[in-house]
Amino acid sequence: MIGAVQKILTNSHLASIAQNTTQSVAIETTLKSIGRPGFILVDNDIDSDTKQYAAAKEFLYQATCLAVYMALIVPVFKKGGFKLAKEKLFKNTNGFEHFKNVKEYMHYRKLADNPSINNRLTTLEKELPASSTKVKEQYDTVLQEELKKENPEKFVYVKGAVELSNIIGSVLGLAILAPQVSHAFIHPALRFLGLEDKNKKAQNQQKQLDTKA
Amino acid sequence: MKLANIIKNTCKKLGENNKPTYVVMAIATVKGICRPTFTMMDKTEKPETKKYTALREGLTEVIAIPAYWACGEAAGALAKKVFNKDKALASRAAKNMMFMGVCAAALIVIPALCSVAIKPIMDKMGLKAPDENEQPPKTLTEPKALYTAPVNPLPDKNKFPQMRTFTSRPQIGLRVGGL
Repeated sequence: MIGAVQKILTNSHLASIAQNTTQSVAIETTLKSIGRPGFILVDNDIDSDTKQYAAAKEFLYQATCLAVYMALIVPVFKKGGFKLAKEKLFKNTNGFEHFKNVKEYMHYRKLADNPSINNRLTTLEKELPASSTKVKEQYDTVLQEELKKENPEKFVYVKGAVELSNIIGSVLGLAILAPQVSHAFIHPALRFLGLEDKNKKAQNQQKQLDTKA
Repeated sequence: MKLANIIKNTCKKLGENNKPTYVVMAIATVKGICRPTFTMMDKTEKPETKKYTALREGLTEVIAIPAYWACGEAAGALAKKVFNKDKALASRAAKNMMFMGVCAAALIVIPALCSVAIKPIMDKMGLKAPDENEQPPKTLTEPKALYTAPVNPLPDKNKFPQMRTFTSRPQIGLRVGGL
């Protein structure tokens, strides 16, 4: 049991998710979409119709945030941030000169994080499924040599530029853009689910009871 | 040039260690400023509703920022203590535990803290949830009687006198029974 917990806590795949802004924000937003409606549903101070309405509204809000984030923010800021850093800020220095795009860097980084040199070399000899070229052919000689070392260079400036643009994209997307989009989407969705009318009826009934009593 | 150097240094630090708390705290901070501002700018809502909603949104993020930081840092420190024998393992475990701490904050800690703390704070500030169907307050005039008996000037002599039945009683006050 302790061994299993230790394995999870020191898992390298989990560590790479924890260090990746996009993946960690996506996971947290998913958890929020479960946790917040859950807490509304267990609240005993609210009547069941209002609870259902509020929980559905919160769930839809978080789901819209996640959809907007994954569909728009991640590709735009990830690619745009890398391009801006490579061409303007670092001017093809500090490791940027070895990579054409983010995808290439992320693939290299994943290999560099693998502690086994043998595993890295085996992966380099593999063929890419999309084309008949080998994995190593997409890397220049410097990167190929680095991957043969015990502690390969990880190009922290490239990683940092990708993460910084992801953080800026996450903040703009989740704090400014997603609430605007969800505002336009939530009410029609609630009406479609029949929850908005139900909530209004419940409120009216409550009001009538209050005035009669 | 100074700005470029700041960005470069930030990139270096994030490249070396991108803590999971950074992004969630940044999002919560901007949300805490922007959401109440957007709410207050909404012209379709009543001022009282706007004030209540904006304060509630602001308070949620005010609770969220320290909760994310505390959960992340506490979990990271715990991992370093548990795995103190192996430095490389301790560093990886600290990253993972910090991420788990942030997830726990998003899933349980923040919703729980909000549901416990927000209502008493709002009550202390004298703000209550405004009723959507609430009518605007009327100016005070002389108090009216709850029920006034109908005034019949003269009895109609062509009709039989009607008995005051149970159903013709005034329909106000607490009624017991099926009527």
